[in-house]
Amino acid sequence: MTTALAEMPTEIGPEQHSSNIVETDNLTKWFDVGLGLFRGSLHLKAVDGVTLTIKRAETVAIVGESGSGKTTLGRTIIRLLEPTGGKLLYDGRDITHSAEKRLMWLRRKAQMIPQDPYSSVNPAFPVYRILEEPLVIHKQGESKEREEAVMKALQAVKLNPPTFFANKYPHMLSGGQRQRVAIARSLILNPEFILADEPVSMLDASVRISILRLLRQIQQQFGIAFLYITHDLATAKHFADRIGIMYAGRLVEEGPVGSVLGEPLHPYAQALMGAIPDPDPANRLVVRQSLPGEPPNLVDLPTGCHFHPRCPIAQMGLCDVKDPELRELRPGHRVACHLAT
Amino acid sequence: MPTLDVKNLVLWYRTRKGPVHAVDSISFALEPGQTIALVGESGSGKTSTANAILRLLPKNVLRYDGEVEFDGQNVMELTDEEFRRNVRWRGISMVFQGAMNALNPAVRVGFQVAEPLMVHYDVDRDEAADQALDVLRKVGLPADIARRYPHELSGGMKQRVVIAMSLILKPKVVILDEPTSALDVMTQTNIINLLKDLKNTDRLSYIFITHDLGLASELADLVGIMYAGELIEVGPADGVFVRPKHPYTGKLLASVPRLRSEEAPDFIPGAPPDLTAPPPGCRFHLRCPVSFEKCGWSAEEFIAQMDLLQSSGEAKDKVPSIASMSAKSPTSLLIKPGANGSVSDFVQKLNAFVAATSEKNRFLKSIESVQGKTKSVEVKLYETTPPPIVGTEWRAACWLVTEGAA
Repeated sequence: MTTALAEMPTEIGPEQHSSNIVETDNLTKWFDVGLGLFRGSLHLKAVDGVTLTIKRAETVAIVGESGSGKTTLGRTIIRLLEPTGGKLLYDGRDITHSAEKRLMWLRRKAQMIPQDPYSSVNPAFPVYRILEEPLVIHKQGESKEREEAVMKALQAVKLNPPTFFANKYPHMLSGGQRQRVAIARSLILNPEFILADEPVSMLDASVRISILRLLRQIQQQFGIAFLYITHDLATAKHFADRIGIMYAGRLVEEGPVGSVLGEPLHPYAQALMGAIPDPDPANRLVVRQSLPGEPPNLVDLPTGCHFHPRCPIAQMGLCDVKDPELRELRPGHRVACHLAT
Repeated sequence: MPTLDVKNLVLWYRTRKGPVHAVDSISFALEPGQTIALVGESGSGKTSTANAILRLLPKNVLRYDGEVEFDGQNVMELTDEEFRRNVRWRGISMVFQGAMNALNPAVRVGFQVAEPLMVHYDVDRDEAADQALDVLRKVGLPADIARRYPHELSGGMKQRVVIAMSLILKPKVVILDEPTSALDVMTQTNIINLLKDLKNTDRLSYIFITHDLGLASELADLVGIMYAGELIEVGPADGVFVRPKHPYTGKLLASVPRLRSEEAPDFIPGAPPDLTAPPPGCRFHLRCPVSFEKCGWSAEEFIAQMDLLQSSGEAKDKVPSIASMSAKSPTSLLIKPGANGSVSDFVQKLNAFVAATSEKNRFLKSIESVQGKTKSVEVKLYETTPPPIVGTEWRAACWLVTEGAA
């Protein structure tokens, strides 16, 4: 299917763009959680030094357990949160500490698909108005052009016929259809980067795949870069180009999907892979390998490698003392572990 | 003798939209120490099946019947009071979905685990506390946990407490409703390992309710696949996971993104049906990739599918022009040809269209005959009934399976 959305003129020609849409250098986001007398002296280190590059038109998946900092990283990258430290570049421009009112251009170019299709759209608005609203806010086009854009966006997310869905209210749609509306809304301003934070975790298994496929198609059709945040390693494998694995605020391993999941090098990545079962009747006969303990308290992180207290191969005197750097051990595949080779 | 033998269990709810067929004639049997995984999409009736077995019924029950034989006794014949005293929790207990968030925040967890003992067996407080400690130890928690409050525990520990609560009366069957759905991957694995261990040491029978086929395979000896309130396939895990008989089971397995395979996951088109008006014939026929003549298309479904085809754009030019369609009976409809086309012309075009595209537009296969009338065309559809579930050890409800087995 071809839609004219791809042919819409962009403001600046591609030759003026950086080939990296997002670059972060040692990005940190800490929250103050100090109480009383010691107010401000305690920090919850949600993101603790992440260096990551997202190229144009690629999908990078960030995988981690709850509390690993993956959502905070995503929100910081699109500047819904201001970084505490490090550097954040968008399309080559430093936006680490830009004031909110000077970020309107970013609010057009970088969009977000929410997790919950049930609460993310205004229930009192018909689909048409939900989709038109961003255009009105950003003063894009006359009403005729806006109508065209809405119809194109509905077509792009395969809500056919678009005129039929434009008049529906959210409660008249299924979960999958609502998520398509949310995706259409993220496309309406013709963005170049979309943050998709657990976009399918609330949906049924059979619908999930159709939504992820749609996102992949949209990415290829419109050349949009995606940051796909998920706890689900298996969908990341099938719908991303590169994958980053987070643990306790840090990126512990990052690289091409085939390389990282074909040969995970970080002990945490290995444990994570081992913990996820594929449907196989032989599973019931074996005990699955797992890790002892729980992820650390982000206010009181272990010294050195954040993973060392649970790590099966940690060496005391090294891992509990020295922060591991991300090292490129395979082509494009970086690992933050002293002992990985 | 099976520990639990469920026969033709039915549970319908009354709603303003009409009766909801949440559980429609489900049968399965569970030997001691055996686990059945009930797998299906949300709204397929998994939790309603559990509630029906445990007789945990809301006020709007419209129909509740069938047989539930537990330890050789049909417990459906017991009064509510007898059932509460002798079966629920004592014989069959349950780990409810999200139960770990329903622990009483103001009561020490040890007491919460011990409470059923005091209620059911009139055990005194100290004795109950001792037994609670044993069970807490069994689920892998340290002894000092009994004196803590729920907010002091992590998610994984709370889930272990809930499992301890389900085991305290030493039941033979434990129903696990999505016992790991709110937990992280590592915690999930630890809980599953615990459940595996308990199953082997105590010869417990589980009814494991999940939407995750990977997790199902961690515990299941038997797999039951539910769709729209019906058990459409049930059989040994070694069979169902490897060579599924029902097309829905096949599609469901193919929709799982696998970590250890490059095969791209595929989705199932459409959505599960409305349970207030389940489709006639096989309830899956609207989404089925291999549906054929007798799978149960009704005239109304036929019209809706035809409308969809006309508006879909890609097939627009090929679909014979239609002015209007109306259902005459569940299995026949009248079509008025559009664009001033003659009736005989339309019949020819429709037949050609069916011949050319019925592999792709499978609803067209339901046409038994096309007859030209004076101003319109009558389309008769095949009559059908729902496919029965056939087989012994491994059963499936699909006309294709029936015919293959015969």
